[in-house]
Amino acid sequence: MRRRPGIAGLQTAAATRDQFRLVGENVAKVRTDVMKEQLATFRSQLEEFARKHKSDIRKNPIFRQQFHEMCAKVGVDPLASNKGVWAELLGIGDFYYELGVQIVDICIATRSHNGGLIDLLDLRKLLAQKRKATVESLSEDDCLRAISKLKVLGSGFEVISVGRRKLVRSVPTELNKDHSGILGLAQAEGYVTVEQVEKEFSWSTGRAVDALETLLKEGLAMIDDGHRDGKRRYWFPCVTINSDTIGGEAK
Amino acid sequence: MQRLGDFRLPPFFNYPPYFTLQPVRETREKQVQLWKDLILEYCRSQKIHTISLEEDFPLFSNPKIERSLSHEAKEVFLAALVSEGRAEWMDKGHKRCLILWLRIQDWANLIINFVKDNGLEVMTIEEIRSGIDTRGTELEGIERSVLMRALRQLEQKGKAAIFKGTSADDEGVKFSV
Repeated sequence: MRRRPGIAGLQTAAATRDQFRLVGENVAKVRTDVMKEQLATFRSQLEEFARKHKSDIRKNPIFRQQFHEMCAKVGVDPLASNKGVWAELLGIGDFYYELGVQIVDICIATRSHNGGLIDLLDLRKLLAQKRKATVESLSEDDCLRAISKLKVLGSGFEVISVGRRKLVRSVPTELNKDHSGILGLAQAEGYVTVEQVEKEFSWSTGRAVDALETLLKEGLAMIDDGHRDGKRRYWFPCVTINSDTIGGEAK
Repeated sequence: MQRLGDFRLPPFFNYPPYFTLQPVRETREKQVQLWKDLILEYCRSQKIHTISLEEDFPLFSNPKIERSLSHEAKEVFLAALVSEGRAEWMDKGHKRCLILWLRIQDWANLIINFVKDNGLEVMTIEEIRSGIDTRGTELEGIERSVLMRALRQLEQKGKAAIFKGTSADDEGVKFSV
């Protein structure tokens, strides 16, 4: 459109813009309407599915996970609100809410022992005990979802990967790479010595001791001077806690 | 679960670091708490009234993990019990410790209830400690000094009267419940 100078020109430009805007809004409206309809259809189909398979979803953790993934693909979050269709249909909201509360309880109860870091598998075992259920009925995915809900509450809960394990952190302590490295190393026997750390990462004694002392101060490590070889060992409760014997086989 | 005799040991007993005094305050507090509870429970279940720091005490070492408490650690845990009124040093050198797994007050109550339940009025000190009536109860084998203190407390409340018998060994007590 050619611009014509002068007031008339300006008025034309404004009118043209208005027209474009109207057309644009219309197009948008049509698109939205179509989408709304599609979503409505899909939602009712999803609800129908959920109704049919309610009992499977509740009982079977693998099925549950697949259901979640299906919902996620279309942007539906069955846990978004405790009220509403999903919560009523499935009672899933309650399931995760309850799980979240139990996870918080366990983390708080074990914090003075492990400093606020707990291996996800140990958490699951303790949860199973608490709920008088089997470990298998409570999948890793279930726990991760419950924890991600906790995260939203800003409660400082986080899942971190260290070595080949997943740890649940319930305190604001930040672990840097040196610390994570040591935790990973400790997964072998539940403890490390300064020597082992130096050797494994090619660090100076100073660097190794610094990292270990920080972990000690944070309550994540405990010292052990009782071995007959006289070498101080740093044990990590978050790495070896077992619901029955704590470090039973380790020496 | 590991046992010491018929006593079930708690999981922390198998975790080596708990046998080393922890330097970090919060961790140390947790450690002391665990050991305090363990000492009281163990002594109660085995009816042990005194611990001597110069003799081996089965609770203070765990051969399974090859760890033992240092002298300092033992003193720290016992001192914590003392400051809570659950133990008393028997000597200035802190070598022997009387463990009050029941407080004197609790013993006094136990005695009064026992006497009531069994309709007893007069007993000798020895009868309370090793007689037929108390066999199998917590009173069996009670440390003499602890018993006397409990009885004196009852005396002060007018619930008992200690008297001397015909010989020095024949002290007795009359209860008025």
